[in-house]
Amino acid sequence: MINKILYLIVFLLIFSSSYSDSYVKASDTLIWDSENKKYTANGDVEFKNDKFIAYSDKMIANYIEENNEEIFTTVELFENVVIKFKDEIFKGNHAIYTKNDNIIILTGDVSIESPTRLLTGYELIADIDNNKRILNSADKDSLVEVLLENDSND
Amino acid sequence: MTRNLYKKIINFFIIIFLAIQIFIYFYNQRPLSENFSQKNMTVENFSSIVLSKSGMTKIGSEKLNKIDENNIYLEGNSYLENKEYKIYGENIFIKIEEEISNSNDPVKVINSMGILKSKGFKNLDNEGIIIFKGEVEFLID
Repeated sequence: MINKILYLIVFLLIFSSSYSDSYVKASDTLIWDSENKKYTANGDVEFKNDKFIAYSDKMIANYIEENNEEIFTTVELFENVVIKFKDEIFKGNHAIYTKNDNIIILTGDVSIESPTRLLTGYELIADIDNNKRILNSADKDSLVEVLLENDSND
Repeated sequence: MTRNLYKKIINFFIIIFLAIQIFIYFYNQRPLSENFSQKNMTVENFSSIVLSKSGMTKIGSEKLNKIDENNIYLEGNSYLENKEYKIYGENIFIKIEEEISNSNDPVKVINSMGILKSKGFKNLDNEGIIIFKGEVEFLID
């Protein structure tokens, strides 16, 4: 009986320490600027929240303080940006996510990849709450849509 | 005659004894006129509160080494704690005047956003900036 309780405690401890909805990881540095209320992460940045997971070379996250808690308001990603949202992958050179409206704006060699299609353009506005995607092009030729096949035998 | 001589000898010794007592008394009471400064000092299981421009910081260490008037080395398990953060690390150097602390050893930080772990840090306290070095993992509550 005691062994079972110990196993349960150990399991709960491991589970609680490994599980987190949101995190930031970086390979080089993370700078916390409490006067300007921002975090800057450099090198192989990985950012995860309850909506998506994002990768980039650099990240600047601004926050506010509410009830003695810090809450991210905007997350800006620079260079080699990859954002995974459900079964979609967004790519671009720069991205900014605003928490208030749950919108991600990507710019520069943007693409959206889903199981059935690949779209490329200059600017992507991904409205997560309303499940809308607006892909803008710098000119007419830069907007490309490619249908992806799920099964190679088809 | 002999008895009178004994009395004089005894009185002489009493006067000498009293003179020594008075000398010892004044010598001990005399304030130190020189500035005394111990440059190197080590204190074990140390904790203290430091007041600086950026506020009040509690510091503690297994072993505190005072290198000179401006530099402190917190050896072994150490911590820095103020209203914004708690930094738990090892072998932390503090420059008191510049309000800079740093360490090249793994560090764990708890703030109001979550728990952060990194390979080292540099805290520019008067600028409100902490640079976490190497691989960093910040788990957000």
